[in-house]
Amino acid sequence: MPQSYDVVVIGGGHNGLVNAAYLAKAGKKVLVLERRHVLGGAAVTEEIVPGFLFSECSYVVSLLRPEIIRELDLPRHGLEILPLDGTFSPMLNGDYLWRVNDHAKTQREIRRHSRLDAEAYDEFSKKMTPMCRFVKPLLSMIPPDPTTLHPKDLRQLNFLLQRFRELSSEERYTLIQLMTMSAADFLDQWFETDVLKATMSASGIIGTFLGIRSPGTAYVLLHHYMGEIDGAFRSWGFSRGGTGAISLSIAGAAKEAGVEIRTQAPVEKIIVKNGRAAGVALKSGEEISCNVISSSVDPHLTFEVFLEPKELPGDFLESVRRYKFRGSSGKVNLALNGLPNFRSLPGVGAHLRGAMSISPGMEYMERAYDDAKYGHFSRRPYIDMVIPSLTDPSVAPPGKHVLSCFVQYAPYKLAEGTWDDQREAFGNNVIDTIAEHAPNIKELIIEKQVLTPLDMEREFGLTQGNIFQGELSLEQLFFLRPVAGWAYYRTPVDNLYMCGSATHPGGGIMGANGRIASQVILKEWKKAAN
Amino acid sequence: MPIGQKVVLIGGGHNALITAFYLAKGGFKPVVLERRSVVGGGAVTEEFHPGFKASTLSHTLGPLRADIARDMQLDKFGLQIFRPDPRVFAPSPDGRGLLFYEDAAKTAGAISHLSAKDGAKYTEFAKELEKVAGVFMQIAAITPPGIDKPSAEDFWNLLITGRGVRRLGKKGMLDLLRWGPMAVADFVGEFFETELLRAVIAARGIFGANLGPWSAGSTAVLLLRAAADPHPVGSATFPRGGLGEFSRALADSAKKVGAEIRTDAEVVQIQTKSGAVAGVVLANGEEIACEAVVSGVDPKRTFFQLLEPANLDPVVAMRIKNFRARGNVAKVHLALGDLPTFPSLANAVGPDGFHEALSGRIHIGHEIDYLEKAFDAAKYGEMSAAPYLDVTIPTMLDPSLAPTGKHVLSAYFQFAPYHLKEGNWRARRGELVNTVIKTLGMYSPNLANLVEAAHVITPVDLEETYGYTGGHIFHGELALDQIFTMRPVLDWARYRAPVKGLFLCGNGTHPGNGLTGACGANAVKEIIHELR
Repeated sequence: MPQSYDVVVIGGGHNGLVNAAYLAKAGKKVLVLERRHVLGGAAVTEEIVPGFLFSECSYVVSLLRPEIIRELDLPRHGLEILPLDGTFSPMLNGDYLWRVNDHAKTQREIRRHSRLDAEAYDEFSKKMTPMCRFVKPLLSMIPPDPTTLHPKDLRQLNFLLQRFRELSSEERYTLIQLMTMSAADFLDQWFETDVLKATMSASGIIGTFLGIRSPGTAYVLLHHYMGEIDGAFRSWGFSRGGTGAISLSIAGAAKEAGVEIRTQAPVEKIIVKNGRAAGVALKSGEEISCNVISSSVDPHLTFEVFLEPKELPGDFLESVRRYKFRGSSGKVNLALNGLPNFRSLPGVGAHLRGAMSISPGMEYMERAYDDAKYGHFSRRPYIDMVIPSLTDPSVAPPGKHVLSCFVQYAPYKLAEGTWDDQREAFGNNVIDTIAEHAPNIKELIIEKQVLTPLDMEREFGLTQGNIFQGELSLEQLFFLRPVAGWAYYRTPVDNLYMCGSATHPGGGIMGANGRIASQVILKEWKKAAN
Repeated sequence: MPIGQKVVLIGGGHNALITAFYLAKGGFKPVVLERRSVVGGGAVTEEFHPGFKASTLSHTLGPLRADIARDMQLDKFGLQIFRPDPRVFAPSPDGRGLLFYEDAAKTAGAISHLSAKDGAKYTEFAKELEKVAGVFMQIAAITPPGIDKPSAEDFWNLLITGRGVRRLGKKGMLDLLRWGPMAVADFVGEFFETELLRAVIAARGIFGANLGPWSAGSTAVLLLRAAADPHPVGSATFPRGGLGEFSRALADSAKKVGAEIRTDAEVVQIQTKSGAVAGVVLANGEEIACEAVVSGVDPKRTFFQLLEPANLDPVVAMRIKNFRARGNVAKVHLALGDLPTFPSLANAVGPDGFHEALSGRIHIGHEIDYLEKAFDAAKYGEMSAAPYLDVTIPTMLDPSLAPTGKHVLSAYFQFAPYHLKEGNWRARRGELVNTVIKTLGMYSPNLANLVEAAHVITPVDLEETYGYTGGHIFHGELALDQIFTMRPVLDWARYRAPVKGLFLCGNGTHPGNGLTGACGANAVKEIIHELR
């Protein structure tokens, strides 16, 4: 007689854990199944090199919903966000651009490059704030479907329409631009300084297979910009103990609420009995029955691996196959026995405590994309680096440091060769690129960990290595995410739900997906009960 | 307003001529002022070499909206239209080729030689496109709604459009919403596996645009074009005597109902008095007083060159400034001593089908990546080394355009960025000819020896000779943020301008995609409504 649960959550990533915690708080008997030996999914921290804690994938946090921090009382469970102040962008001409949270300071810095841009920067921040205010509620609501005549959807659509009409003409203009334009075109209207535009547009391409000149990237820019004005903590930050600590704090809250969590429990199949999800079969052969399954893994795994084709409608399956993953980024984590020394700003300064962005110009960024379009990793990639050990000494031995590098582009599908035989070349290319700006980097390296899109797929179960469980492109957002007509955390299989980054509002450590999904599950549970 | 009121139209392009026609019919007194000595704007026939004539810019109609053709009775004014079948011939360097016929089934047959799967898919695709195009057709024919105070008519239009959309069914609606923002390369990828087929259909999403097939949003452009002609590869509609004959017929029809049309009459200024239009000033100093001016020229020229800056609210000025109109197209005309051979075509249709197959458009750009690489160059201010070409040999159907036995070949060249990183277009125009001959040479070995003369129109010529600011043949980029209620700019997408009595009717307005006359026909409704 197999054990039985109300809900089995597949995947112990941050969304799966958030989902489980809320369900348990509502009195459900919940089991979380994690394939790996550690929790967190892509929000994980591991001791890869003795004494060094690597936040292997996700390395900074900003969008974690304040309501979740509050409702799950995460600080009590060990969540502590340390500020990550500023973005330092070394340039190829030996100069640099260094933006910090202190607005006045940043303005002075930008004035060094262009008086006009310094003034525009002020305007820009003023303009973006209401934009974020408009879009933010969307992150916490179930996206309405404009194709139904269901009163609930119509109400929500009307709500959005009214809010849109309440905007001033200027705000509407900007909003429409943000929803449709490319990050580059959008910023071109505002600024003239190449490096400023390049660095800002960089956040528009993260996790997508798009270039800064591809329409739609302006929205992703906003998506990331939002973090910078969040009520809970003003800017991007580190989590003490590494990104994994966020997942662990959520797990703590979940356990306290009664959630049972099992690691090294890989799922083999989702058991479906006459159209209803009835339980899961583990690779170990063990079977676990339950009333509801909530899958935090991506649609490919959920529908094409865990389910038999016959369990799903043909056109739904087709949509799942069409869903774009296309991992475009890699990660290089370095254990250093010292600090990098930048040509453009030598010495150990505050600039090392923030993000360091290798995005020296628009053409540099666009060419990096062109390499990827034709199946090569960027010869000179965009790199976003942080040194968490400067802010949080607990992640490295005294005097030593961790350098975490997010690298784009690294296309999952290579024109020639496999990632297994290109991994080394990719890693070295990243280090060479950094060395152009901080020549001493090579002597400092004790150990390096190179994660290609293929590794992210194998290790972390991110199909095609997409860090957001699917591209954040306009046709895969809101009511179209992950599958048009199924953006409601429900699936064609009764009692099977989705709660991962592949659902609205998408990727990043937000937790919103898991939280909204829990509300949907509980609501339907009630309906079924009566 | 008294009937018989004078309305001045700036520019004698097709939209202005159509607007003039309807204004005259509506009892107004339209006066069309064309800067050049010939009307037509982008639809003109010119002799580029003794004895050789070509449709200098546009080489095919959009086609013209049926109701307009009917109202203006263009056939009565001597307009004769050729509709070649097949419409498009697409050769591939590997010696294979594809022909796109009027009839989907026949095309599918041709395609299935390359891929049985795609052959089957093609008919399905043609149907899907026709369904969706129906909706866009409705949208293209209405004035974009006002957001703040939608009129009763706006609600009515939205209702009609809404019903059209709902008729697509759930899946159709979701597809429509999904496709719009997609890269056209992904769009065709959802249907077909054959690169050549993908490339030909995708090309419609990037023609004349500052987009590559991998640019998100290029599918919207394709769908917009499908509104004018739902056929998968678009229109091949040629007037006898070239596009100039089309414009002449429009002009004659407009004159017949009382429109006055003056050539060599360049408007240099729109005069205003206390925020309202007072008249126009011509280059020769002549002043024409009037209380209504309709501009058929592009928004940037209208607002920044013809209007005094003082008349423009800074917010609107900023938006017009942001209106993207980066031209990316050049045109090359070749005078040929004889008809070039196309071996791959012989394989595709055999000698007998040869003549028909060359009568339509010839698509050069056999792979998505080929088109994308052509675009890449433009991103860095370079003209494509291996360009996407849209070619016609108008003399196949209309020998009158060249001396007996000789031929004219016209090629749209993409991409040719208005701003070159190195050198300038005056110095580098020759490279365009060489590149065209080299590129076509891969498919037509004997072409190079047949060239008697060449004529080039660079993006700069498009601006200086034909008046397209930035050299953009559609008066401004067709992008998600520059269509419908945002064309040319938000709040001013209803054919009106911030100055009382000033209207827009050119391609810089909704729907703004080529020679369909839709802009003019939509605009005139608003103009009459406003002036009455």
